[in-house]
Amino acid sequence: MANSTVALRAYRDGLHLIIRPHLSITEVEAAIQQEISRMNRSLAGASVQIDLKSPTLKEAEIEFLSSKLKETYDLTVRGVEVADEPVAPPIAAAPTTHVISQTTDTVNPRDSEPSRIVPYTIRSGQTEEFPQGSLIIYGDVNSGGEVRAGGDIVVLGTLRGSAYAGANGRLSAVIIAMDFAPLQLQIGTHMNRSSVNQEPRGYPEIARIGADDIIIVEKFVKF
Amino acid sequence: MGKVIVVTSGKGGVGKTTSTANLGTALALLDKTVAVVDADVGLRNLDIVMGLESRIVYTSMDVIEKQCELSKALVRDRRVDGLMLLAASQKNNKDDIQPEQMKAICDKLRTTHDFVLIDSPAGIERGFSNASAGADEAIVVTTPDVSAIRDADRIIGLLQNARIEPINLVINRFSPQLVGNGSMMDQADVLDILNIDLIGVVPEDSAVITSTNRGIPLVYEDGSPGAQAYMRIARRLTGQRIPIHSFEQKGLLNNIVNWFTRKR
Repeated sequence: MANSTVALRAYRDGLHLIIRPHLSITEVEAAIQQEISRMNRSLAGASVQIDLKSPTLKEAEIEFLSSKLKETYDLTVRGVEVADEPVAPPIAAAPTTHVISQTTDTVNPRDSEPSRIVPYTIRSGQTEEFPQGSLIIYGDVNSGGEVRAGGDIVVLGTLRGSAYAGANGRLSAVIIAMDFAPLQLQIGTHMNRSSVNQEPRGYPEIARIGADDIIIVEKFVKF
Repeated sequence: MGKVIVVTSGKGGVGKTTSTANLGTALALLDKTVAVVDADVGLRNLDIVMGLESRIVYTSMDVIEKQCELSKALVRDRRVDGLMLLAASQKNNKDDIQPEQMKAICDKLRTTHDFVLIDSPAGIERGFSNASAGADEAIVVTTPDVSAIRDADRIIGLLQNARIEPINLVINRFSPQLVGNGSMMDQADVLDILNIDLIGVVPEDSAVITSTNRGIPLVYEDGSPGAQAYMRIARRLTGQRIPIHSFEQKGLLNNIVNWFTRKR
């Protein structure tokens, strides 16, 4: 499988190192290492242009990467270009300030949150609460059932009941379900206004707060 | 030692009493000794459906209040060997009985009968906890509509909390025609939501209404689709392995019509 965070491409004007949206500088480093080790010939002495597909790297971090590339692989960085057009759905496409990987800080708010695994189906009349962090349900949430989490909610089955994520105020909280047909959704203080699909669509979906502070639901491709 | 099975549903009107009467009778027809117990104190019906209402002298309330012996309160069904009914009191209400008292009755009945079927009232309150107090297993009856299924889901959660298992599902009033044209949930949809074992599907059958009014459980007159379905469920309860009957409409024309009208 091709590396999703970093790609090394040869164009007419030379080598390009394409860096896509990512979570942290360490992830980028690891991805570069992996990408270069895929090459079956040495790149020593070559020059490379860095194409940033999202402005997530700070200047200091770019400098750090440049010196790292020089030291480890003997690659000279001849320039840095930042593409500001949004790429890679769904996260990077969202024109909102609340979205997780677009924030400029590299701290992942999920790192400090505990999560709890619920290895059964939440049936009608049952409630599963975890205000401290995220909930992962190894089953369904049936109509009349309820899940509440301080952070994210992940349902590895069908979500037919009500889901309230982000109860601790983190607006980047999301609700993911393999089959998505909830009665009610709430993230933080935002309720869903638009009608959510009544029937599962046959693919995983994700709900999060999008532009205009409304909850949007879309196909879940990757985080 | 016999098995105590509670027949329950959450929602009313889905066929708990009809199912209890028919399964009890069917098990007796299969040469098992059976006691059916009406747990719907204050709103008893099982005696009518079984056609035994004129013969009720004592009820479970009298047994609890030690007015009579349990064996004396049991009404024997004369049409088949080994079938007894313990009626509920119509004068009292559900709070007059404690779950422990019901459990004591069940434990006594299981020493003398192969099967003890408890007809649970609708709801999730005291009546339900009384009915399920002495049960080892449960049969959840539902119709294939969303409100009955949500209530069944609730009841299954409560039964699981009470560590009653297995919990088997009966889908009642199933209409192949309505499923065929996409306006009723099919078996797979129901099982996908409730996620318990299916023990039988009873088709919609107008013979049920006439049999209820006459006080003759359907299974005495073998032949109607409903009666056959209840007989198959009773056989499964005795441990026989019988595949679940498919009520899908057959024929090329139907298949074509279904293909075009099915819900996608």
